[in-house]
Amino acid sequence: MTLLRYTISRFVQAIPVLIGISFITFVMVNALPGDPVAIMLEGQEVDRETIEAVERRYGLDRPFHERFVTYMLGLVQGDLGYSFHRDMPVSQLMWIRLGPTLMLVFSAFVFALVTAVPLGVLAAKRRNEPTDHVSRLVALVGVSTPSFWIGIMLILIFAVWLGWLPSGRLVYPWRDPAHYGFDGRLELYYQTIRHLLLPMVALGTLQMATIMRIERSSMVESLQEDYVQLARAYGVPERTILRKHAFRAAQLPIITIVGLNLSTALGGAVLIETVFEINGMGRLLIQSIQQLDYQVVMGVTIVLATIFVIGVIITDISYAYVDPRVSYGDRE
Amino acid sequence: MNQNTILSVDGLRTHFYTEQGVVRAVDDISFDVRQGEIVGIVGESGAGKSVATTSILRLIEEPGEIVAGEITYQDTTIVGFDERSDGTLVPKDEMLTNRQMRSQVRGNEIAIIFQDPMESLNPVYTVGNQLQEFIELNRDLSGSAAKKEGIDVLREVGIPEPEARFGDYPHEFSGGMRQRVLIAMALACRPNLIIADEPTTALDVTVEGQILNLVSDLQEEYGTSFIWVTHDMGVVAEICDRVNVMYLGKIVEQGPVDEIFYDTKHPYTKALLESVPRPDRTVDELNPIVGTMPSAIDPPRGCRFHTRCPDAREACREVDPQFVDVSETPDTEHRTACIKYDDVGYWDSVPLEHASEQDTSYIDEDQRPENRDLEQTEGEP
Repeated sequence: MTLLRYTISRFVQAIPVLIGISFITFVMVNALPGDPVAIMLEGQEVDRETIEAVERRYGLDRPFHERFVTYMLGLVQGDLGYSFHRDMPVSQLMWIRLGPTLMLVFSAFVFALVTAVPLGVLAAKRRNEPTDHVSRLVALVGVSTPSFWIGIMLILIFAVWLGWLPSGRLVYPWRDPAHYGFDGRLELYYQTIRHLLLPMVALGTLQMATIMRIERSSMVESLQEDYVQLARAYGVPERTILRKHAFRAAQLPIITIVGLNLSTALGGAVLIETVFEINGMGRLLIQSIQQLDYQVVMGVTIVLATIFVIGVIITDISYAYVDPRVSYGDRE
Repeated sequence: MNQNTILSVDGLRTHFYTEQGVVRAVDDISFDVRQGEIVGIVGESGAGKSVATTSILRLIEEPGEIVAGEITYQDTTIVGFDERSDGTLVPKDEMLTNRQMRSQVRGNEIAIIFQDPMESLNPVYTVGNQLQEFIELNRDLSGSAAKKEGIDVLREVGIPEPEARFGDYPHEFSGGMRQRVLIAMALACRPNLIIADEPTTALDVTVEGQILNLVSDLQEEYGTSFIWVTHDMGVVAEICDRVNVMYLGKIVEQGPVDEIFYDTKHPYTKALLESVPRPDRTVDELNPIVGTMPSAIDPPRGCRFHTRCPDAREACREVDPQFVDVSETPDTEHRTACIKYDDVGYWDSVPLEHASEQDTSYIDEDQRPENRDLEQTEGEP
């Protein structure tokens, strides 16, 4: 089977998973206390008939399974319901909020990988030397410090005391520069980076620390493999051994951990968006829960779950790409 | 030193500094390798065979260290020490630097074949990629010329359809085929000496036979010298010209293969030979060596084999046996380190009780206070 067919089959396999996630979310939102009609009509003097009329209009009088089927039929057509609070379709809301969250999570992983992989390799190369001890200590601190606290500290130091960087909100590179009153694309990108820096570091620190620890131990193991010894015995320079012979096979655990940690990063984004006042999915989720905006809560949950499933699929595909031993599911 | 000697190891000591103590994995061994011959190094697991061969390539890693001795390859000094006035040893000036070792010796002069063909190839690169890299590093060939050479060598070691197999990954090869690939790697670099570290141990017997035949043929064709590390006396009989028998970091007997087999001197060699079936002898029962090898951290005093030796006497506990020439004719160079053949009072000494008969009493012997430190731990780290 080719990589393309493998990719397609993995996506097809994801469909039942997504249906399952939607079902569980639907059940849980239904089990929440509070009456959506009462919230909708809050502050108005209404009689019993009006309430029933509203319930009929939105299908709330129908049994649970019928409502679920209706919701799923809407879902496959891209209809996630309507937010009464914000007075707009949930799907439209998702489109606006998805960008900031993806930008934040993606940049956090880029930051984590760019820093953690070289540091992990260096620590493995200088095992049990001061470099190694320092990097392991940093990793330990990084793993055990909550990201929102790091966020608050970063704001305090770099925004409040030093005043180097803005304390919150993001600038989106896909917007028109005139929207922010910037001179051109270049300034827009510059401001994007300036605004992204602190939340990226706050969210990425945990990932960086985790990846660094795995990278170190994986490289240490890899450097002791027979095939690395063989390369040494054939006169391969140590630089090439690190870069080629030990490195590639050592990256397999990293790929796994990045895929799995997508969930912690999305969860972390909820906090970081709140700390940095970023209008992404996470902040929307928190606000919607507080406002009992059920449709939005469901929509956000399903979209985040979908992102996670896609992330895991991408992990599997890159794993197959890096490790030739992974079969594409051939039955011979 | 013989005129044809290409590698000479003299008084080599390689120690490992572990938390439990100093492991004397290789403790004063000397042997040489001549042009075009196959030299065997035989012994039980933990005797220090692999450490000895890795020392030749200077691939000993922390916490191991070559602490004494000289290794000379042709005219270059791989390992050598000068003694300073205060008695400490410092590396000789003419000793090759690490960079020289890498660029001048490893691969192009001395190549190695490891024990486990399953672990010796990188799983994420194609066989051809690794083979071509080693050829490009060690010979003046690059790109397509190196690739062509790689395919030719694969064909020579008996890999069918080498053009197609060149681009396959290691997991697509069987164990025997992978060992052929590793032999191809060694041959492709056109070294003068190939160290084969138990290359057939992980293979099944039929494949082992094929590989041994292949090596014999290739050896005749190329005239390459081999150091063949093994614990299998049968393999030694099949391919080796001369043999070194190692026990607990020391060589106890060395000589031409026929001398070792038919005029065995050292009790350990005898014991090794009695523990394997031989087509030229009929026995009712095989006679394995009793006990396990003591730890190389605190080896027995006197002769290191005395705790397990059937011929041991009181003198063996005290006297450290020196190499004695036991050659029948002047040029056989048969030597052994056993005081039976030296005039140090073996024959006047009382036999050690435990070893006089092979029963369970040796267990009690191990429990005696003076022997309690001979705990049955692995000799090699």
